[in-house]
Amino acid sequence: MDYKLQVRVQSHLEMGSLDDRSMGDLDDECLYSAEMDAQKTQSTDSNEQVSLSSSLPVAGNKMIRNGVYKSIKTVVFSNKLNLLMPFGPLAILVHKMTAHNGWVFFLSLLGITPLAERLGYATEQLAFYTGPTVGGLLNATFGNATELIISIYALKSGMIRVVQLSLLGSILSNMLLVLGCAFFCGGLVYPGKEQAFSKATAVVNSGLLLMAVMGLLFPAVLYYTHTERHAGKSELALSRFSSCIMLLAYAAYLVFQLKSQKDLYVPIGEEGSQNEQNANDDDDEAPEISKWESIIWLAIMTAWISILSDYLVDAMQGASEAWGVPISFISVILLPIIGNAAEHASAIMFAMKNKLDISLGVAIGSSTQISMFGIPFCVVIGWMMGQEMDLNFQLFETATLFITVIVVAFFLQEGTSNYFKGLMLILCYLIVAASFFVHEDTSSSGESKQPKT
Amino acid sequence: MDDQKSNHHNNKSIDLDDSPPFVRIHSHAEIGSSEERAVLELEDERLNSCDSITRKKHPFKETSSSDICHMKCKNSLWNSIKIVIFSSKLNILMVFGPAAIIVHKTTGYHGMVFLLSLLGIIPLAERLGYATEQLASFTGPTVGGLLNATFGNATELIISIFALRNGMIRVVQQSLLGSILSNMLLVLGCAFFSGGLVIMKREQVFNKAAAGVNSGLLLMSVMGLLFPAVLHSTRTELHFGKSELALSRFSSCVMLFAYAAFLYFQLRSSKKLYDMESKTETSDDDEAPEISMWEAIVWLSILTTWIAVLSEYLVDAIEGASTALKIPVAFISVVLLPIVGNAAEHAGAIMFAMKDKLDISLGVAIGSSTQIAMFGIPFCVIIAWIMGQPMDLNFQLFETATLFLTVIVVAFMLQEGTSNYFKGLMLILCYLIVAASFFVHVDLDSVVDKPHKNGE
Repeated sequence: MDYKLQVRVQSHLEMGSLDDRSMGDLDDECLYSAEMDAQKTQSTDSNEQVSLSSSLPVAGNKMIRNGVYKSIKTVVFSNKLNLLMPFGPLAILVHKMTAHNGWVFFLSLLGITPLAERLGYATEQLAFYTGPTVGGLLNATFGNATELIISIYALKSGMIRVVQLSLLGSILSNMLLVLGCAFFCGGLVYPGKEQAFSKATAVVNSGLLLMAVMGLLFPAVLYYTHTERHAGKSELALSRFSSCIMLLAYAAYLVFQLKSQKDLYVPIGEEGSQNEQNANDDDDEAPEISKWESIIWLAIMTAWISILSDYLVDAMQGASEAWGVPISFISVILLPIIGNAAEHASAIMFAMKNKLDISLGVAIGSSTQISMFGIPFCVVIGWMMGQEMDLNFQLFETATLFITVIVVAFFLQEGTSNYFKGLMLILCYLIVAASFFVHEDTSSSGESKQPKT
Repeated sequence: MDDQKSNHHNNKSIDLDDSPPFVRIHSHAEIGSSEERAVLELEDERLNSCDSITRKKHPFKETSSSDICHMKCKNSLWNSIKIVIFSSKLNILMVFGPAAIIVHKTTGYHGMVFLLSLLGIIPLAERLGYATEQLASFTGPTVGGLLNATFGNATELIISIFALRNGMIRVVQQSLLGSILSNMLLVLGCAFFSGGLVIMKREQVFNKAAAGVNSGLLLMSVMGLLFPAVLHSTRTELHFGKSELALSRFSSCVMLFAYAAFLYFQLRSSKKLYDMESKTETSDDDEAPEISMWEAIVWLSILTTWIAVLSEYLVDAIEGASTALKIPVAFISVVLLPIVGNAAEHAGAIMFAMKDKLDISLGVAIGSSTQIAMFGIPFCVIIAWIMGQPMDLNFQLFETATLFLTVIVVAFMLQEGTSNYFKGLMLILCYLIVAASFFVHVDLDSVVDKPHKNGE
């Protein structure tokens, strides 16, 4: 196992230093490309066989040190996006020196972007070793780990509204912006015909999203119509109960997906339709780092993201005041767009390669994850922490989510896409973003306006 | 043999640009006096159907083939008037127009002025559509499509602009909303219902793709309307009163851009996606237009001016009519105005459905709704912006909720791609519910209906 690692690591080294390696290609590599890896392994295998016999008897300590160094090179230096990584420590520096919240917020946001992407990469690498079931679970949980980590830190600070808004914004940006860009770019590259995708997957995801909207709607309407039995308490209890149900539904959805992968989801296009399915087919692909490395890197990335999230959350209010932008706009629009940048790029790329099912999996799958897993999970975590997070996202946000889910479900039900649909989705996102720009959140902790009733 | 002669003549009329006008005028005059010439058949001519027009041309070519004059000459003034004005029975209502003005000047009785001007506008709207189509046959598919897209709802837009000038913003919003609702529910429902009754054996089918795109656009317009309304009703705007207006103007620009992209997309893919004819005309080369291009333009401007004049009287009389007839202004704007204003389109859509050309009916009904929702409403917001009127996209919660629910119901009904009389009946009954709701709806922002309690 070790020599294989060395071989691949060396090949990565060579690859890493090539200048023409674009980010897109590397994303390709890290997300899915059987051919390149196979070729690479074969060529390096034949080349390195001679030098291997000499490198095997090297002392164990040196090999471990080399391993660490090469592992770092694999994970950290192989992706151009990681140029943004220095912004992380920079943010901490700025925070300690100047405490200019606007800059700290911005820099930590930039610093988190590459980490989020690497976290996804490490998760996928680990998924190779664990088989389809656990691999699917891993992807399902860690797929939006960044948003969850940020949310947990915000919960700890009691910024419940920020949690709700950032999760909502993540759903909106995935459903409208990422999907719209994917449809649009795909449609531009293939103008002659309409691209098709698996209707069944899209419909199931739409159904889950609608169920999530239902779970969010009732607390909001109860609150808004002032018809709760015990004001303030029953809404919270209802939210917690609904969250448990939504988590159960999501677990059942995972079981359903894994069990019926082969029957129900006939992918249109050459490759698999979900990221979890990619894990199945990846026995041909050689993973690039070993299992223990993946776990260690997973832990390191998570820890690093947590630290940066801490600074990010603390700086949010100050940034909002410094830039004159409402907190709701920052949480709903800015945070998710930048946080999702890597997923966004990969979805567009897959659409342009006519693998629309994967794009759909990235975009809509991510939305479903957040709405049916992320939000209820945060409610439960808040319950454990003693924070009063509920599913009442206030009427404006809930109405936004409702209309967005309906619009997207409607667009997806046909099973085809063209550039016009993509354009419409993007324009819808513009309208949503503009609405949040002029939306003042009366229940936010930042603004101390008296809510008019 | 008669057929051969008529065919021969038809071929000739295809080759020449404006072929024997005299023949057609004579025939029109003859036809105009014949009892069996329904208004509907003339709608037929206006709204685009190659088959029926060629069928129609055969009968009167037969009677007048002996009088053929082959010179290429433009219609004289009298003949032109005859074609445009006297050829449709609906134009009997035209006299109500001047009658309205006379009543306004003599008695000032708003109820009568309102009714008369409303009746007077109906034939003008229909003739305007006719002139637009005639002009479109000269300009080719692209510009023709654009013309239809713009002038298709010119009547509603003209009425709205006059209302905006008077600052009656609420009337504008409600009349546009009512136009959308009546097109989506009443016109479509009647078309499905009549078509289903006539063709009992099977379900009629229509082009799902076109319906889907239109439904998507309608949903997007609902989105554009929903946010300002919810912002206002939850009182969560950043700068009270101002941010909603700014958001509305921005959303209007986005919606106009989307509509422009839609027109572009439609023109590009009209051959692939829209197999059967939609509302925009693409090939009129087989049909010979009945009036020359300049005549069409002249008539277009005359009709537009005349509609503008009558609209002014109409708009001025709305409030008085509401008090006189004891009907809320909301009901007049949302239900009465659009039904009457859309009467000609309504009849056309029903007729096409009965001829099993459901795609054309759909184009008339849903295409018109999409036009108003994605072009008419944002256009009025922009015009108001230029005029300095604070019109926004906040249609108030009740109206926005109505539109939202209606769009969802209709999108759902359309998604299957088939129709039967029951679906039509459901849509008509939905419209009855909507109309009843507006009959008992007090518009808090309206000028006339002042509630007894203090509004919020």
